[in-house]
Amino acid sequence: MAINILIVDDSGVMRSMIIRTLRMTEVPLGEIHQAGNGREGLDILDEQWIDLAIVDINMPVMNGEEMIDRMHEDPEMNGIPVIVVSTEGSKARIERLEHKGAVFIHKPFTAEIVCDTINSILGLGENDER
Amino acid sequence: MSAELEAIMSQVAIDTLEKLAFMFAFSDEGEEGRPWDSMVAGSVSFTGPFSGTLVMAISIEVLQVLAANMLGLDDGEETTQDHRSDALKETINIICGNLLPAIAGDEVVFDIGVPGILPADQEMKKGAGIPDGLDPSAKVTLDLDEGQCVLFLFLDGEIPKDIVLP
Repeated sequence: MAINILIVDDSGVMRSMIIRTLRMTEVPLGEIHQAGNGREGLDILDEQWIDLAIVDINMPVMNGEEMIDRMHEDPEMNGIPVIVVSTEGSKARIERLEHKGAVFIHKPFTAEIVCDTINSILGLGENDER
Repeated sequence: MSAELEAIMSQVAIDTLEKLAFMFAFSDEGEEGRPWDSMVAGSVSFTGPFSGTLVMAISIEVLQVLAANMLGLDDGEETTQDHRSDALKETINIICGNLLPAIAGDEVVFDIGVPGILPADQEMKKGAGIPDGLDPSAKVTLDLDEGQCVLFLFLDGEIPKDIVLP
């Protein structure tokens, strides 16, 4: 099954880095959509079938935490898994995001961490023959 | 305090450049820096238990490689001005985001602003909105194959006494 992914980050270079990292993993990629802030991210979620959202926190217009909150309020978006990729270093803030169901990846990240996190959050690879 | 801050800032910047762009940097103890006009600078401000601004100046040659490596470009592929500006802003953001908990621990909360590129035709402090009389609390120069990277940490006042550096 191909996975449609939404990447929300105000840095185009960081979005490119995440896409390049995704292509280095064995995650079966479908369509990859990009947004520069939480508002744009919600618009794409409204229009496209998305299996996984990868979201930065510190963004203009609408930050990632508000976007996650809005997703929780919408029954159509509520079940979409979210990975937060951020420089956030505060334990309290990270725990708050985790309580909202997000899985946290710290910047800078490695391809292995991204791959392992996606496999874990989507339950991929558990029945693969090795 | 300054030496401890500089050691932390140096390590965070070296780790970030390596993990983010596979670039290997070494702390340069010498005072001689590159001419300012051969560098591009960006800054990000933060507030929290202590507030301030992190400024990063980087050789144009280093910035080209930084942007190309972050984008995964092949040798000979050119980066655009937008790519380079974006790469510098993201790098400053990541260094700042990792530096503050390295200084103050992960129990405290900081708000980090939006990083920006400093105008090339202005003096660094003026461009970053730093008061003229304020000296950096820490300054680190890193050497890379392609050139140099200089980091300045300006603090608005002292680090609170209840924050013990690691």
